[in-house]
Amino acid sequence: MHISDGVLPATVTIASYAAALAGAAWSLKQVRNEDLPKIAVVTSSFFVASLIHLPFGPTSVHLILPGIVGALLGPASFISIALGLFLQSILFQFGGLTALGANTLMMGVPALFCGLLFRGIRGTTALRHGIAGAICGGLGTALAAMILAGFLTTAGEDFFGVAKLALAAHVPVFIIEAGVSAFAMLFLFRVKPELLGTGRYGG
Amino acid sequence: MTVNPEIHLSLAAVLAAAICLAVSFYLAAWLVRRGGGRRRPSGTGEPNWSVPTLDAFADRTSFFHQWDPRHKLVSLFLFCFLVVSLKSLLWSAIAFGLTVVAAFACRIPLHRAGKRLLAMAGFLTMFMVMLPFTSPLRSGEALVYLPGLDGLPFHMAGFHLALTIVVKACAVALMMEPLFATAPLPVTLAALSRLGVPDAVGQMVLLCHRYIFVFLHEMTRMYRGMRVRGFVPGTDIGTMNAMGNFLGMLFVRSFERTQRVYDAMLCRGYDGRFPSFTCFTATGKDWTKAVLWGLIGLMLLVFDRIGGNFF
Repeated sequence: MHISDGVLPATVTIASYAAALAGAAWSLKQVRNEDLPKIAVVTSSFFVASLIHLPFGPTSVHLILPGIVGALLGPASFISIALGLFLQSILFQFGGLTALGANTLMMGVPALFCGLLFRGIRGTTALRHGIAGAICGGLGTALAAMILAGFLTTAGEDFFGVAKLALAAHVPVFIIEAGVSAFAMLFLFRVKPELLGTGRYGG
Repeated sequence: MTVNPEIHLSLAAVLAAAICLAVSFYLAAWLVRRGGGRRRPSGTGEPNWSVPTLDAFADRTSFFHQWDPRHKLVSLFLFCFLVVSLKSLLWSAIAFGLTVVAAFACRIPLHRAGKRLLAMAGFLTMFMVMLPFTSPLRSGEALVYLPGLDGLPFHMAGFHLALTIVVKACAVALMMEPLFATAPLPVTLAALSRLGVPDAVGQMVLLCHRYIFVFLHEMTRMYRGMRVRGFVPGTDIGTMNAMGNFLGMLFVRSFERTQRVYDAMLCRGYDGRFPSFTCFTATGKDWTKAVLWGLIGLMLLVFDRIGGNFF
């Protein structure tokens, strides 16, 4: 779920823009030239994945994938998500232009966190990759939902109800995302494990 | 604390209002879809994954097309920020009116702007439905009691706030076409790069924008293959497995393809930037337009802060 224009107070909008720009600048520094194709792939996939709707009971949810983006790109995931959201905003109006900073933080911070976590727990076997994928996929979405709720509550007491609804609406996404990420990681581990290898923190 | 006026609505009134709203929404959606001119064959079960081409109408002539992209980007971006910091419904509505004029003036088919508004409908509906019922009680605001919901009054202040948000969101959404669709994307990115955005960012946006369409094509093809082999999406482990492999396969194929393209680019002397032959020349007219939009935005904000309390 993307925040649209006009929801957040002006101070939060500007502060989140500044934080997101700082994060993007840091993230851009971690990108090496040869990583460019991979970032382009993951960004475009992040973009198109939001178009995939999976049925969940009577409704349907769409994938968000901050966990997978983090696991694949590590520190470069923040800039990748910023660019993906920028394109979604100018092409589809998924999330507004002025809320781009908040949206980038909402998805980028979980992606960075999941990248670190994935590196820590992935182990060397296929099973552990699957479990790590499930944890990162679910946790990434859960963190994004919590940051979304946090942003909404900064807008005032009026928004507490909406924030709770947004959290509740993410529970199905959380489940589906964990399952899909687990199988995607299993697949990548079997077919092209070198995709999971690169991307360093720091340095 | 003053007494809150209470209004009790009858069931018939609520039903009539609900029907009016639903009809007008479907009418709007139908108009947008009809204006799009593309009708996908029904019954194939294939999801609609089409992405609009951003700069399909960049070769027209209008107030926005003939504006130096650098000045246009800065002043309209600033204008968007000023619009979202408005607080009163009255001035947000006036800003919305201005952006409607801009949407007409940029001479880009209106169904594109309509699609943008529809894309936000889900998120904004959540506000329209939730805010009036969950906002805290303010002294002096009117409470409307719907039939059957005696314990859950409809707060007019919350409704007012939700309406302001919706109007502002629509106003900024309508500015997106004048802002990004009135110049070819490479020109917009070249302008951003002159404004200090790192070259690498522009390169990545350009590459990703290109790859989105390639991947969508690939994704549609793969999904069609899955459907032909009998895949029916459901809420179960099997669907998750299939979609996980689908995503993984999309990554693998796209990565190999992108790697090949990148190698080919390197062979042809790519050094991190595409040669750009765009040169920008700003005339007095560009500056005048920029100052004009900036002033309009600032005046909106000033009037909003001074005179916003009347409404």
